[in-house]
Amino acid sequence: MTVDPMMHLADAAISLELETPEMTLNVGPQHPSTHGVLRLKARIDGERIIDVEPVIGYMHRGYEKLAEVRTYPQIIALLNRIDWVSGYANEIPFVVAAERLMEVEPPPRAQYIRLILNEMARISSHFLFMASYPLELGAASPFFFAFRERERVLDLIESVTGGRFHPNFNRVGGVKPAAGAGSTTKTIVQDLPAGFYAETRVAMAKVLAVCDELEDLIIGNEILLARTKGVGVMSAELAASYGVSGPNLRASGVEFDLRRTEDYLPYGDFDFWVPTGENGDCYDRYVMRVYEIRESAKMVLAAIDAIPSGPIIAKVPKVIKLPKGEIYMRAENPKGEVGYYLVSEGGTGPYRLVVRTASFSNVSVLPELLEGVLIPDLIAIFGSFDFVLGDVDR
Amino acid sequence: MSDVPSESVSPHEELFTYAEHVYDVIGFADPVAVRNRTVKAFVKRDRWVDALRRARNDLGLVFFSWLSAIDWTNEVQVGDPPASHVKERFEVLATVADITEGRRVTFTTDVPKDDARIDSLSEVYGGANWFERGAFEMFGIDFVGHPYLRKLYLPEGFEGNPMRKSFPLLSREIRPWPGSVDVEPMPEAGS
Repeated sequence: MTVDPMMHLADAAISLELETPEMTLNVGPQHPSTHGVLRLKARIDGERIIDVEPVIGYMHRGYEKLAEVRTYPQIIALLNRIDWVSGYANEIPFVVAAERLMEVEPPPRAQYIRLILNEMARISSHFLFMASYPLELGAASPFFFAFRERERVLDLIESVTGGRFHPNFNRVGGVKPAAGAGSTTKTIVQDLPAGFYAETRVAMAKVLAVCDELEDLIIGNEILLARTKGVGVMSAELAASYGVSGPNLRASGVEFDLRRTEDYLPYGDFDFWVPTGENGDCYDRYVMRVYEIRESAKMVLAAIDAIPSGPIIAKVPKVIKLPKGEIYMRAENPKGEVGYYLVSEGGTGPYRLVVRTASFSNVSVLPELLEGVLIPDLIAIFGSFDFVLGDVDR
Repeated sequence: MSDVPSESVSPHEELFTYAEHVYDVIGFADPVAVRNRTVKAFVKRDRWVDALRRARNDLGLVFFSWLSAIDWTNEVQVGDPPASHVKERFEVLATVADITEGRRVTFTTDVPKDDARIDSLSEVYGGANWFERGAFEMFGIDFVGHPYLRKLYLPEGFEGNPMRKSFPLLSREIRPWPGSVDVEPMPEAGS
């Protein structure tokens, strides 16, 4: 029997290549795709990741401690800054918690204004994700589509609240008069700026149109599909056990939305679809947001048609003091469940405020998903969770 | 919010019925309280993991929402002390929920300060891992059986447990907050 010399050479080459040394790869803290300052300590073997340890805390600002020395109105301004991409949505569960402890009911008009702005915050937060995630995977065009429309929505939020990212617009008992509302008397308060309804209709129509374009850009993009389909599959059990919530949980096929179960805003007045994914992969997590933007835009349009007139703030004392008590209030933030456990001892500020943020739990599941994946999928997977490091580090 | 149709049972009654169900299933939880739409179940420290395991397996509360602690003390360095005298202790709280109907229960237990130890939940809920690390560094509570009990936010060399009420807020020490006497009055209309 003759021996093929080439055969031996091939065998030799393979056995040599198999011995790859284990090494540690540091991603971050400063990395363009880490949405802030997150460090990932990855142990890798060749192109495969053995395990990943996220190192967080670079942006820890101690909001829970700070809240213990601040008054309730001051805390509302602080909470804006936890997740700065959807600052408005962070205020809602806190003011609702305070209102429930005080047994104050905000007027219907204030609740509708809150709902409209809350959904606008969701649209702007989702648009940021729709823009940045494809960019991380090398697709640049969705960025321009999404950012153009996001700016429109931010302009609307700014026209009402006076702030693009940090509205600080809610008061215990209602909302404050719109930015630049001018001289007001106690009876006539201009709560929404002139032309707000007309501009909102235009903006929401454009948002709906760009959703179609974005969907085409994704579904028609072979590279994006190859990078996201079947990558980073998360089961519903794993997601729930880690407290992964919001669109990330729904992408794993769980039809659960706190807007339906916790009646903190008049969401019961509207029909909206809660989209769910089939596979729980990066692709599902991405398209969930497209669907949710659509539902939010439709809800805003329905809400400005149905908005009742009347006062925008209930009668509350000038100095807000909450009676002794404890309450946990959670709400559907664009990134998932955000909640506050408020412990009041009867003073002008809380004795303890536990801040539960969505991104913290969403990031904590990453080590489970990144085990054994290829290095290029690292960015694809953790980018798909749409987290903000301010929301992780608090 | 209040205009929920009242033809059936009120939300509060419904929650109360649920709290009784929680009490029956857990078996050893002390009076389950329903306050402010929050169901709170007190369990003894040595049955902590047991209670949460039953909550997950028998009550279907598979979603781990959060875990944290409260430092109950009468001697505070920051903020206002409690309104009335409290027993010195750490209160450890964990909220778990379902992902179908929106039910949630906050489990709570007391941990004495001179023996700040409690069993880790990380075997039951994966999400407890990071939350327990946070409570470990912020309050100095030892979670027995935790696989990786290291600091989460704080740098390695940091000393002290910042969320304890005995830990002063340094920026406040240097310069008192301008609103410390009273909050500013709302600007009057037309001014």
